[in-house]
Amino acid sequence: MTNDMMQVLMSTVVLSGPLILAALGGLFSERSGVINIALEGKMLGAACTAVFIGAQTGSPLLSLIGALGAAVIIGLIHAVLTQVYNVDHIISGMGLNASILGATTLFAKTLPQLQTDEAAAIFPSSFFWTMAFVLAGAAALYIARTRGGLHLLAVGNDPDKSRQMGLNPVKIRFKSLAVAGLLCGLSGALIASTSGNFVPNMTDGRGYIALAALILGGWRAIPALLACLLFGFFHALELMLQGQPILGVDLPPELWQSLPYAAALIALALFAGHNKAPAGLGRP
Amino acid sequence: MHLPWKHIWLTLAAFALIWLALVAVGAYPPEAFREMIIRSVGKPAAWRETLFQMTPLLATGLAVFVALRAGLFNIGAEGQLMVGSLASVAVALAIPSAFGMILAIVAGIVAGALWALPAGLIKAYRGGHEVISTIMLNSIGMALAGWLLAGPMRNKLQESTTTAAIDEAAYIPHVVDQMPFRMNLSLIIVTLITVGFAYWLKRSVKGYELSLVGKNPIAAKFSGAALKKVTVWSMTASGALAGLGGALMVLGDEHRVYMGFSGGYGFDGLGVAMLAGGSPIAVVPSAFLFAVISQGSDSLAQIQIPKGLNGVLLGLIIIVFAAYRAKKETHHD
Amino acid sequence: MDDGGDVRSLRTESDGVAAHLDGITKVFGKLTALDQVSFTANRGRIQALVGENGAGKTTLMRVLYGALKPEQGAISLHGNEVQLDSAADGISHHIGMVSQHYAIIPELTCLQNLMLGAEPEAWIKQAECISRADELATKMGFSFDWTAKAETLSPSGAQKLEILKLLWRDAEIMILDEPTAMLSPADSDALFGSLRQLADQGAAIIVVTHRLPEVLDYCDHVTVLRGGKLMADKPVSETNAEELAELIIGHGVDAPVLDEFEPGEILLKVASLTVKGERGDEAVQGADLTLRSGEVVGLAGVDGSGQRELFQAILGLLNPVSGSILLCGADAERVSPSKRIEQGLRLIAEDRHAEGVVDDWSLEANASLGLQRLEPLRSGPWIDRKERADFAQQSTDLFAAKHQGIDKPMSSLSGGNQQRFVAARALLLRPKVILAFQPTRGLDIDGAAQVFSQLRKTCRDENAAALVVSFDLDELIEHTDRIVAMSGGRIQSPPPGEEKSRKIIGELMVEAG
Repeated sequence: MTNDMMQVLMSTVVLSGPLILAALGGLFSERSGVINIALEGKMLGAACTAVFIGAQTGSPLLSLIGALGAAVIIGLIHAVLTQVYNVDHIISGMGLNASILGATTLFAKTLPQLQTDEAAAIFPSSFFWTMAFVLAGAAALYIARTRGGLHLLAVGNDPDKSRQMGLNPVKIRFKSLAVAGLLCGLSGALIASTSGNFVPNMTDGRGYIALAALILGGWRAIPALLACLLFGFFHALELMLQGQPILGVDLPPELWQSLPYAAALIALALFAGHNKAPAGLGRP
Repeated sequence: MHLPWKHIWLTLAAFALIWLALVAVGAYPPEAFREMIIRSVGKPAAWRETLFQMTPLLATGLAVFVALRAGLFNIGAEGQLMVGSLASVAVALAIPSAFGMILAIVAGIVAGALWALPAGLIKAYRGGHEVISTIMLNSIGMALAGWLLAGPMRNKLQESTTTAAIDEAAYIPHVVDQMPFRMNLSLIIVTLITVGFAYWLKRSVKGYELSLVGKNPIAAKFSGAALKKVTVWSMTASGALAGLGGALMVLGDEHRVYMGFSGGYGFDGLGVAMLAGGSPIAVVPSAFLFAVISQGSDSLAQIQIPKGLNGVLLGLIIIVFAAYRAKKETHHD
Repeated sequence: MDDGGDVRSLRTESDGVAAHLDGITKVFGKLTALDQVSFTANRGRIQALVGENGAGKTTLMRVLYGALKPEQGAISLHGNEVQLDSAADGISHHIGMVSQHYAIIPELTCLQNLMLGAEPEAWIKQAECISRADELATKMGFSFDWTAKAETLSPSGAQKLEILKLLWRDAEIMILDEPTAMLSPADSDALFGSLRQLADQGAAIIVVTHRLPEVLDYCDHVTVLRGGKLMADKPVSETNAEELAELIIGHGVDAPVLDEFEPGEILLKVASLTVKGERGDEAVQGADLTLRSGEVVGLAGVDGSGQRELFQAILGLLNPVSGSILLCGADAERVSPSKRIEQGLRLIAEDRHAEGVVDDWSLEANASLGLQRLEPLRSGPWIDRKERADFAQQSTDLFAAKHQGIDKPMSSLSGGNQQRFVAARALLLRPKVILAFQPTRGLDIDGAAQVFSQLRKTCRDENAAALVVSFDLDELIEHTDRIVAMSGGRIQSPPPGEEKSRKIIGELMVEAG
């Protein structure tokens, strides 16, 4: 039993890694006032690029750089669409997600070399997990204690007043979306590194879960991290309990599969009203 | 004449991306586009398939449109459609008759509505964002479908995870049946609902209040509109329409439900509604265009272009169109 | 300028000039907002800039601040001509502006607001910043809990924080736009005390205001603008209230002798009403109020005295903690907002854009906003399009709102015409109790008089009653039948016979504040 417990805890850490990184990306984006449904697309684009470049070059560094680059580019496209073209943030995000899902599916089937021969072509997963925890702390500190963090909070809460105080909200949002891209890039690369090859839609909605965790965490780094761990824990529980009868009842795996989503839904119903979203979220 | 260069650039960029994607997978783009057209509206059999696809697209498009009109993003049409189709197939299997068909349609509507209800309630009374809740409900709905299809509702005689086929007595009748072209009543049903909804929205007091809540919730509150009720009802109606889409797919075309049954119609519904802009009637041509693209790119598999192109196309269309709409709106101020 | 025998006595008059604007012209579309206006701000002086709404005061200040570029004219600071391209340029030249709607972000802490845009270093050393902030605050005699969220600040606290923000940025030229608009008289006194202190330390202070007593009591120099033109520029000691009023308004407005009437039945009775505001405080505390048919009652008070919450409670949008509301003879508890509208409750909303119109809907669709469930605009479950079009036409005609057709969007009307439309709409369809929050916002004097006279006529002729909120006591004295004062959530009525006494109502407005 203790062994099982350890195993669940270990896989909690493993499974929540991509969520934490993506949620931090969402944190930067949403704190600056840009709703970011596109976390999913960035992760997927990054995962695809990581595997592709990793397989082509065999260099984990280049693979990582490629993943980060891809996600940053997607983040900047989201910035251009929402800030320059004034496209609704949710529509832009959904559009990007659909396009990226389509494009990566297209490539996955066409390019047969989209599979790394050895895991070494991508940085090991432990590198990313460490990053996830370190970066969560760093993000919390950055937002609470630096000029950049203060500007981020200010434009996210009130772009007009921030402009009055001499800030440039559009510029700050571009930067934030680039940072969000980097973080989602890490998340995508981690997902790629865990599996070693690319499968269409391999992010499997984890970008959305990360967003839910961010909201449950009240748009704060450490609570969001904890929410991600919670989701990871449920997922780990699901993997362990699958096919194991509990008190003599054989529960279907789908029940466990839907647990984290149901948990998110219930948490949203219970806590949403208590967490204040950045007041300027979605505003031009 | 002042040309909207910003938007022309965006359109060109989107087009270039599509071109690039096609070249990258080894296709010659003009050829691919020509094939898409031919295979979607080029022959009677192609029309048949395209119109089949149009039914759920119109239903989910209208579903998303209703919610959007009240200021809500229903990302959950996919799950609502799936749950609706399962309820519908269960009823149709139990009562294999025309009466069963009617009940099955009702079952689909009710199931879809119930699957959207929590999102409406959480939004209205707890302030939880409907985008997150509908996405969660999608995942739960898919898990539910997975369990039902693998277990209780599975047709054990078949290898794949699918329900049994419903009896012919419960099929939605065809209005035209001259193979290779045929069309059943379901598309007409959804089109009539769309027209009726458009009239209701424009001419009824409740429709006025629905639009008011979506346009300016604060003014709606001051005008005596019941904000929370409108939120719950419009989200529920949205789910009902998506559920109807699922029921019509089962009873009109597929006659069973299997894993992957919904095939993304729910998500495409978002694009259909976006493309329609502010007009409910425009949902009809918008759904048709999506059906053409969807059918066209599905059939490209036959010339060795893998699936996925429709995602790229539709995603970019949504974005470009939203950019044009945003421009129009800022122009007003 | 003569301060004794030291070298500083060599300063000439022009040495005291901190900023000079010369022949500024600024055009918005067809409107000339500023026409060849010159303006000087001196160190050590509190300078008043007065004029009506739309006289060009704020525009002139935004030019000085760098937020607007003039078509013509030059700006010189400390004797050197400069080019200001943005608000950031203004800040770098030590010009600071406190706008009427404070640039304080409630979700940030007081310290974060203080520093925003002017942080000393990339890494914020909290302790150091707090000690410098405390130093500035102590200098002005203020005290702040720097780590508290700014949303906890009172209006006067926010105003103080704005002043400290200027000091944090080493501003030497300080512009305050309507600084007392949200302050009680006592807080206003304290504010001008602080400003005097700053001026004595060498700052050039510019106060944009429309309140003459402030100018006469606290300012050194006054500049009057009217319709974008410079009307006067002189020391306060050389002018008086009558002259300034004449310069500002141009022509005196006769206070109308209001027609006699007999107050009828009670239409609205608010008794011991307590309502919680957004922050959980008791925004309305045990308020009593009675409206009888035929009368127009003014609700005087500084902004934020609980008027908003009182209105929302009467509308049924906020649930009272205790007390009762009697509307048209029936207890309104548990009566939905739409039912109250059916009983004859009408609103001229405070924030027209947010609460009263849908900008991109047609005038026709906007006409029935709030009245959509009333016959004849409704017929069964359907909208009666013909009746609605007629009603929209009447709503534009009543106050002659200029428009290009009732099928055109609301946004095609100017602000003033939108206000005329919104005011008319509330008077035309069987009103019983009319709640009007600053109903003449954005209207000129004639337009305002028209709205008030129609409001009285409607109340008299149709046995309705109106409650009018205005932050301008003079407007209420001129146009309403009697006035009650609201302060700190309480409503007080002057004694009989003193219903329109400026002195007594003024005192009531202050008492609990």
